[in-house]
Amino acid sequence: MPDAVAVSGLRKSYGRVHAVRDVGFTVGYGEIVALLGPNGAGKTTTLEILEGFRSRDGGTAEVLGYDPGERSSARELRERTGLVLQDIAVEPYLTVRETIARAAGYYRTPRGVAEVTGLVGLAGLERRKVRSLSGGQKRRLDLALGLIGNPALLYLDEPTTGFDPAARRDAWQLVRGLRTAGMTILLTTHDMDEAQALADRVVLLSGGVVVAAGEPAAVGGRDAERARISFRLPAGCTAADLPVPSHSANGMVVVETGMPTQALHRLTDWAIRRGHVLGGLTVERPSLEDVYLELTREVAPSRAPERIMR
Amino acid sequence: MTTAVAARERAGSPALPPAGKRSSLRLLAHQVRYEQVSFWRNPQSAVFTFIFPVVFVVIMGALFGGIGKGSYFGGLSALQYYVPTIAALSVLGSCYGQLAVALAARRQAGILKRIRATPLPARAYFAGLLAHCVLVSVIDIALIVVVGRLYGVPFPSHWLAIMLTLVLGAASFCALGVAVASLISNAEAAPAVAQLVLFPLMFISGTYLPIHSALLNRVSGWLPVRPFNEALTGPFAQHAGADWRDLAVLAAWGVAGAVVAVRRFRWDPRPE
Repeated sequence: MPDAVAVSGLRKSYGRVHAVRDVGFTVGYGEIVALLGPNGAGKTTTLEILEGFRSRDGGTAEVLGYDPGERSSARELRERTGLVLQDIAVEPYLTVRETIARAAGYYRTPRGVAEVTGLVGLAGLERRKVRSLSGGQKRRLDLALGLIGNPALLYLDEPTTGFDPAARRDAWQLVRGLRTAGMTILLTTHDMDEAQALADRVVLLSGGVVVAAGEPAAVGGRDAERARISFRLPAGCTAADLPVPSHSANGMVVVETGMPTQALHRLTDWAIRRGHVLGGLTVERPSLEDVYLELTREVAPSRAPERIMR
Repeated sequence: MTTAVAARERAGSPALPPAGKRSSLRLLAHQVRYEQVSFWRNPQSAVFTFIFPVVFVVIMGALFGGIGKGSYFGGLSALQYYVPTIAALSVLGSCYGQLAVALAARRQAGILKRIRATPLPARAYFAGLLAHCVLVSVIDIALIVVVGRLYGVPFPSHWLAIMLTLVLGAASFCALGVAVASLISNAEAAPAVAQLVLFPLMFISGTYLPIHSALLNRVSGWLPVRPFNEALTGPFAQHAGADWRDLAVLAAWGVAGAVVAVRRFRWDPRPE
């Protein structure tokens, strides 16, 4: 099956600022893909090119089989895509129901107003004026506007920024439900937990280029990285007594190993025989955030100067 | 074209039913309905745009209601003079003023960008705004005429000429409002800029007082407000039909506004 979104060699400059230098990735039908990267990495510009808000300087882009830069097919593409932007942008004097019903009137095959209202958790608030809603409720209304056209592809630009943990979890549940129902979702986020929890694949951008892409559990060689076993040195022992090579960091003994099962077995066997306790014992692999920080730091010095772009 | 269609079919893009014949009219009604709801619920727009001209004509009537026909008002009674000029003022407010301010604010809030992301065609959006503004103007003018009648100004007789002037004026001032909104990037500045342009223009065009300076009248005759005042005053008070010269000047300004609007209008709060 072809991809819902296919981008290659994408370029975009604002004057002398190269916001996007060379971006390529794909999003398969029914997939959730997260664009990650620091501010100024080119996430929003990439998204805006795909959404048809900005022209591209070079490269190819295809969204649901359409070229997003082609004006003649823009309306057809908008019939099939939904988007939720970062800003809360709703008319203050309409009610929740009116706001959703107005947007529904713009599509040929919208979802039901009541259905979408319930889906985003605004049932019971239909008659409330938008201006009296809380920030979180307005964002749900935004999401309802993204869904009302029954899109095949949904763009979510930092969808849970500013949510409390419970609201964030609800939003994740909703997004997973949409994917289960067959929707393709392309999102941007700064929240590594969110990427880990939602995305089938992540695309890591830095300085306008893709620096890594893959499943959240494997991106940047995470799964192949050495594990770190750390614990406090038992009283009366020196590092030389340990059965495996180690170093110390922040008052802890750290063992880095490509074979954590064996190393752990030898360590615990050694400790039990001698009657020692390995205080604060943890086994870690680099987190998505570690990978993110490392990969985006590498590119940082050559990064394009930031202007007003997000 | 065929290859593009084939690519989409391969891409599994869902086929949608084609847009119906009556859909543009229905879309227009849909737009006007929600613009109206938004407008009347917003106290600022309802009071300043709608109530102000009515209050103004009531005050003018109380002040000058007793002044009969004379040369100061160009051979008209004071209220015969003020009813059409205040009617024109109400059109300026509901079309030019309202759009310059509302569109700049909607752009800054991201509302325009959100609308741009839907399949609603741009022309349907603007047609909806124009129809909404004309509707507000018509209701406002009807109220002003009724108040004028209470002060003894007879109902106008050339309704066709009035409607023609009204629609042309509303369209022109809507275009100028969109043009101003296109040139302003900061929504906070929009009301000030819109008024800064409008107030002196209305003053020299005789909206508040008759102007007896030939030079000023010649200058303002080429600007959009005086031709509109005169084109309304004729059929309102002097039982004359449409004034084609004034309408032509008005239309020229409308076209100029539309050109600026089409070339400079932005949906996105941030520049490309």
